[in-house]
Amino acid sequence: MAIMAFTMIEKTHVKEAFQAAVPIMLGYVAIGIPCGILCDSIGLNALQVFLLSALFYSGAGQFMIPNMYLAASPLASIIASVSLVNTRQMLYAASFAPECKGVSKRLAFFFAATVTDESYGVSTAKFAEGHWSVDRALMVNLFSQSSWTVSNVVGVLVGSAIGIPLNIAAFAMTAIFICLLVTQKMTSANIVAIVCAMLGVYGCKLIGLGGPAILIGALAGVAVAMVFERLQRNSREAGERS
Amino acid sequence: MSWTEFWIVLGVCAITMLACRVLPLFLLKGKALPETLGRALGFIPPAAFAALVANDLLTPGMFSGGLWPAAIPLIAALCVIVVACKTRSLLYSALTGVIAYALLTLI
Repeated sequence: MAIMAFTMIEKTHVKEAFQAAVPIMLGYVAIGIPCGILCDSIGLNALQVFLLSALFYSGAGQFMIPNMYLAASPLASIIASVSLVNTRQMLYAASFAPECKGVSKRLAFFFAATVTDESYGVSTAKFAEGHWSVDRALMVNLFSQSSWTVSNVVGVLVGSAIGIPLNIAAFAMTAIFICLLVTQKMTSANIVAIVCAMLGVYGCKLIGLGGPAILIGALAGVAVAMVFERLQRNSREAGERS
Repeated sequence: MSWTEFWIVLGVCAITMLACRVLPLFLLKGKALPETLGRALGFIPPAAFAALVANDLLTPGMFSGGLWPAAIPLIAALCVIVVACKTRSLLYSALTGVIAYALLTLI
C-alpha cells in the first residue's frame, strides 16, 4: 500500500517531508520502544506488534491495549474503550477536508488513514504556514509510521531485557501532547476550549467514565468555546450598534 | 494474549480507527464547509490536546497516595511547558519530559 502511495509523490518533496517528520520520528522511538516492551509483557510477539502498528497505528490505543489487558479488563471493554478514544481522529480527519479538496481520492485516503495526534499537529502547522501539500503530509505520516513500527518491534525484541520503567518512558507521549497544546494560538476562545476540555476530562473520570473521557472532554471544550465566541460576537455587534 | 484474542482486538480496533480517520474526510470532500462547522473544527485542536494532556496528568484522588508521587508528573509537565514555549519543538519537549520525570523519580 505504501509503495503505491509513494509512486504518486514528487521526489523533491521527500526531503521537506522528512525534515518535518524527524521530531515525530524521534518522539516515536522514545514511546514506541516502551510500547513494544509493554506488548511483550502480555505475550504479544514481534509479528503481532508489527500488525498492530501497520494496520491500527495508534500510540494511545497501542498503550491502552496492554495496559487494560494487564489490568484484567474483558476484551469487550478493551475494544470499546480503545474505539471511543479512536473517535477523536474524526475531528482530525475532518479538519483536513479543505486541503484535500482537488487531490486524488487515493492520495486523500492514504493521508487520512495514517494521521495521528502528532502528525496532525505538524501538518496543521505546516498547512497554516503555507507551501505545504497533501503528498508531503502523507510522506510525514509514512515516515512517522515507519519509525513507530520499527521502534515497537525493537521494543518487543529487547522485551524486558532492558529495565526502562514504563511510566517514565510513557511520559514522552504526554510531553508531545503538551508541546502540541502550548503551541496553539492562545485566543480567549481557545483558552475557554482548553479549560473546559480539561474540566470535562476530570469530570468524566470523577463519575467513572475514564474510557470516553478524552472524547467527551474535547467535545465539551469545542461546544463551550463556540457558545463563548457567539456571545463575544453578539456583545461586540451590540457595542457597534450603540 | 492468545492469537484469537489478538485478532478480535486488532480487527475491531483497526476497522473503527480506519472509519474514524477516513469517513469524515470523504463525507466533507469537495463540499464547502458550513460556517458553524468550520468554526467548530478550529476549536478541535486546542480542545483535543487539552483533553489528552488532562487525561494523562489528572486523576481524581491522585494526591491521596501522598503529595510527592502525584506532583512528579505535574512538575515534569511544567518543565515541558517552559521548553515547548521556548523551542516549539516536539523532540526537545519529549526529551525534557522524560529526563525531568526520571530525575524527579530518583529524588
